[in-house]
Amino acid sequence: MNAPDNPDPLSRALADWRVQPPRNPQFRASVQARLAPERRAPSWSGYVRAHSAWVATALAVAVLAGGWTGRARARATLAAESVAMAGHYVRGLDARVMRAQ
Amino acid sequence: MKNLLVTLSVAVAACALAFALCYRMSDEPALRRAAREGDALAWLRMEFRLSDAQFAAIKKLHDDYGVVCGEHCTAIMAARNRQAPAAELRALEVACVDAMTAHFRQVAALMAPGEGERYLATVLPLVQDHDHSAAPTVRGKL
Repeated sequence: MNAPDNPDPLSRALADWRVQPPRNPQFRASVQARLAPERRAPSWSGYVRAHSAWVATALAVAVLAGGWTGRARARATLAAESVAMAGHYVRGLDARVMRAQ
Repeated sequence: MKNLLVTLSVAVAACALAFALCYRMSDEPALRRAAREGDALAWLRMEFRLSDAQFAAIKKLHDDYGVVCGEHCTAIMAARNRQAPAAELRALEVACVDAMTAHFRQVAALMAPGEGERYLATVLPLVQDHDHSAAPTVRGKL
């Protein structure tokens, strides 16, 4: 299977062919420039869509905690004022505690 | 990281909004106004959900009892001023407590049944728990 003495011109041309692409000094920069948008953080709406489960959970917990705390605080304040007013009411009718009117 | 912070900020804002809304919904401005102004009868009306007729009847009882209370007060002060025997002073105070208790029961009878019981459960312990040595010296506004 020796090579023929007179090889095919196409084979000879392919054997001699060397690719010498022109150097592009901006190649790396252009690649980075194209990757940059992908590396940038997504918008908040995109973030919410991507993490919808935990965002919804966090909001639900926040609303429930805030609502419960607000209701409890209002009731506690009213209860404290009511206790104070009950004492005020009874003292106002209690001759034992009156020294000056 | 920035989106996480934004999300947490939104959650905190939602929490504060829910707090404010529920606080406002659970609040009773008329009751608080009565407390702020020291208006015991307005407090009584709100706290025990008195109708206009109930309130008018209770207010009349309250005003009538004011006369009785004044008599007790005068008698107790006179006994204290002349340094009456402890037994006499004690008897006057017992009469005062008995009259007060009877008045509170009359007031409770004019309220709706559940509210009347709640009223008695609120005021009677304050009569019984009265600490004489720590009594205030000036009558509150009524």
